Amino acid sequence: MQSVACPNCGAEVSFRSPALPVRVCDHCRTLVVRYSQSAQAMGEAAVLPFDVSPIQIGTQGQCFDQGFTVIGRVRWAWDDGAWNEWLMLLDDGSHAWMGEAMGQFMALREVELDTAPLIWGLLNGGEAVPGQSGSIAGHAYEVADVRTVRCIGCEGELPFTAPAGWEALSVDFRNADGRSASFQKDRHGPSLYVGHYVTLASLTPRNLRSLPGWSLHPHVA
Amino acid sequence: MSPDDSCVRTLACPACGGTIAMRAAGYTVTLACEYCGTLIDATNPDARIITRYHELQAFLAIPLGMRGTLRGVEWEVVGWMQRADGWATWEEYLLFNPYAGYRWLIAQNGHWSFGTMLTAAPRLDGADAIVAGRRFTVFYGGNSARVLRVAGEFYWRVKIGETVRATDYVRPGAMLSLEQNDRERSWTLNEWLSGKEIRAAFDVPPPPAWLPGMTPLAHQPSPFARRIKGWWPIGAVAFVALLLMLSLFGATMQPQRFSLSVTPDGPSVSQTFGPIVLPLARQAMTVEAHTPGVEQGWVDVDVSFVNRKTQDRYDAYALNEHYSGQDSDGYWSEGDRSQTLKVASLPAGTYDLVVDAQAHHWGSSGSFAYDPSSGTYKSDGLPPVEVVLTVARGARFLSNFWLATLMILAPPLLMLLFHILFENARLAQKDGAPADADDWWQGMQSP
Repeated sequence: MQSVACPNCGAEVSFRSPALPVRVCDHCRTLVVRYSQSAQAMGEAAVLPFDVSPIQIGTQGQCFDQGFTVIGRVRWAWDDGAWNEWLMLLDDGSHAWMGEAMGQFMALREVELDTAPLIWGLLNGGEAVPGQSGSIAGHAYEVADVRTVRCIGCEGELPFTAPAGWEALSVDFRNADGRSASFQKDRHGPSLYVGHYVTLASLTPRNLRSLPGWSLHPHVA
Repeated sequence: MSPDDSCVRTLACPACGGTIAMRAAGYTVTLACEYCGTLIDATNPDARIITRYHELQAFLAIPLGMRGTLRGVEWEVVGWMQRADGWATWEEYLLFNPYAGYRWLIAQNGHWSFGTMLTAAPRLDGADAIVAGRRFTVFYGGNSARVLRVAGEFYWRVKIGETVRATDYVRPGAMLSLEQNDRERSWTLNEWLSGKEIRAAFDVPPPPAWLPGMTPLAHQPSPFARRIKGWWPIGAVAFVALLLMLSLFGATMQPQRFSLSVTPDGPSVSQTFGPIVLPLARQAMTVEAHTPGVEQGWVDVDVSFVNRKTQDRYDAYALNEHYSGQDSDGYWSEGDRSQTLKVASLPAGTYDLVVDAQAHHWGSSGSFAYDPSSGTYKSDGLPPVEVVLTVARGARFLSNFWLATLMILAPPLLMLLFHILFENARLAQKDGAPADADDWWQGMQSP
C-alpha cells in the first residue's frame, strides 16, 4: 500500500492497488492521480447521491475463484436510471468490476477486444440494436441494451479519471446461461468486459455496508 | 429523518404535496405518488413530475412500506401496480431488500405468488420451458399485459398504459412468465404461495378454498393431490391395523369339541354341553357344525348359548346338507356338510351349549318301515349321522373387514374425484394444444 498526501487538502490518500493511477480523496473528493512518487490533483469528483447499495469500499468476498476487496466505485446514469460499478481488487493483483443494477449483480473482467463481427461493427462506428445476436469470446450473446451513459460520481481507487458528466456509449449483452458482457466506448477508447450474473450470497461477502433498519440477509451475513 | 437512522428518504409530491417515501434510493427510477398517482422522476434531484394524475388513493391489500418475511428473507413493499390483459386483472407488489434485491408478489383472485426475475433464460424444449430441471408447459400465449395503475417506486421508467407481450408457462405450483417488448425480454418465475405462507408474511387473508364450478389459477396446485398423497400412509396404517386386529381378535381360542349322533328321519335329539366359560366382558363365538356323514339328506342344527346364571339365550342355526348322484353329465354333488356359525358379543359368564339336531333323508336309498307308534313310514337301517360341534372364542367377521376397507378407501376416492374436477377446470384454460397426459401427470405431483 502506498500513501501520498492529497495535493488539495493534505489528507493522507492511500493506494491499495499498485496498478491503479487514480484515487478520490475521501476528505475533499479531489481526484488524485499519482505519477511514480508524486501525486497531482485532476479536478473534483461529484458527491455520490445517497443509495441503499449493500456494497461499500472494503467489502470482501470470493469471485472468479479468488478473494476480492472492493476498492472503488463509479456511478453511471442514463435517461431512465442509474447503476453502480464497483472495482474489485482480486487476490492475484488484477481487477474486475461488479456491476450492480436493479438489485442484481454481475461480475465482469476486461478482455481483449473481440474481432467477431458484433464487436468489430461497434468498433467501427456501427450500431447495435436490442435483440441482435452475435458471439463474444466464444459465447453467443444477445444485445440487451444500448445507451449513452454519463458518470455521475465516483469514489475510492480507479483505473481512470472519472469526472462527473463524462459520457460513454454502453452496450450490454446477455445470454441464456446467465453470462453477461459489456462494451464501452468513451474518450479513452473502446473496452470490452465479459462475466456472468452472480448473487450476493454466492460471493460469501464480508464487511457489507450496514443499512439502518435492515438486518443482514441470513445468507450473506 | 436523518440519513443515519433510516434508509428511507421522504419528499413532498410535487403535484399534491403529500409526503411520499423513497425506500430504495439509488435503484428507484420512478416514484408514483400513492395519494394522487402522479408519476415523479426519482433520478432527478428536483423530483420532476413525469405525468400528473388526480386519482383516488388506491386501496392496497398490503400497504406500501409494510415488511414481511417470505422464504427466510425480510421484504419491504415498495411498489404496487395493477395490470390487465383481455381476460383478467391482477396486482403486483414490488418487494425490496437491499441485500437480496427485488421480488414480486402477485395477487390474483385472492391467490398470491412470489416472483423472481431470472438472470438466465430457461431452456426451451418444444412447447415446454425448463428451469432448474423443472418442466413448464406453455399455457397462455401472446397476451398483452397493460399497466392500469401504479403506486410507490420502481426501478424502471414505469408508464401507465405500457404494454408487454406475455407468454405463460405453467406447472402446478409455479408459473414461468416471459414478458417482452421491442427492447427487452425478461423471464420471471412465480411460485404459488400457500395461505399459511402469505398470511404469516403480510397478514392478508388466505386464498379462498376451491369449490366445484370455480376456475382455479393456471398454476394453482390441486389441494386434493396433496391430500390423496397424504392419505396413503394413513390408509396403509389403517389397513395394517385392520389386518392386525383381524388376526389378533379374529383368531379363535380355546376350542372345545362336542359331538352327538342323530338318526336320519329319527326324532330330534337335544343335548346340553358345558360348561363354556367366557372370561371377557364381550366376546364373539364361533361354532363350527360339521356333519361328515350326511348323504342325500340334511341336518338341522339349532345351537343356543344359555347363560347358566341369567338363562339368557343366544341362538344360531345351521343347515348342513349333501346330495349327490349320477346323471348324463356324470357325478354331481351339492350342499355343504359344514357350516360356521358366529355369535357376536356374548357377555362374560358360564354358558351351556344347548344343541337340538334333527336329520332328514331324501331319496330312494335305505329301507322304510312302518312305525305304528307315530303312524308314519320311517327309514330304517340308515346309519346315524354324527354332528361334531367345535366351539371357540373369537370370530372373524369378513363383512366387517370389507366394510372397513371400503371406509379406508372412500376418502381418497372422493378426493380423487375432486382432484379430477379441479384439474379439468384448471386445464380447460390452456391455450393452444389441449391438455395431455403429461399435464395430468404433473397435476398429481403438486409441490
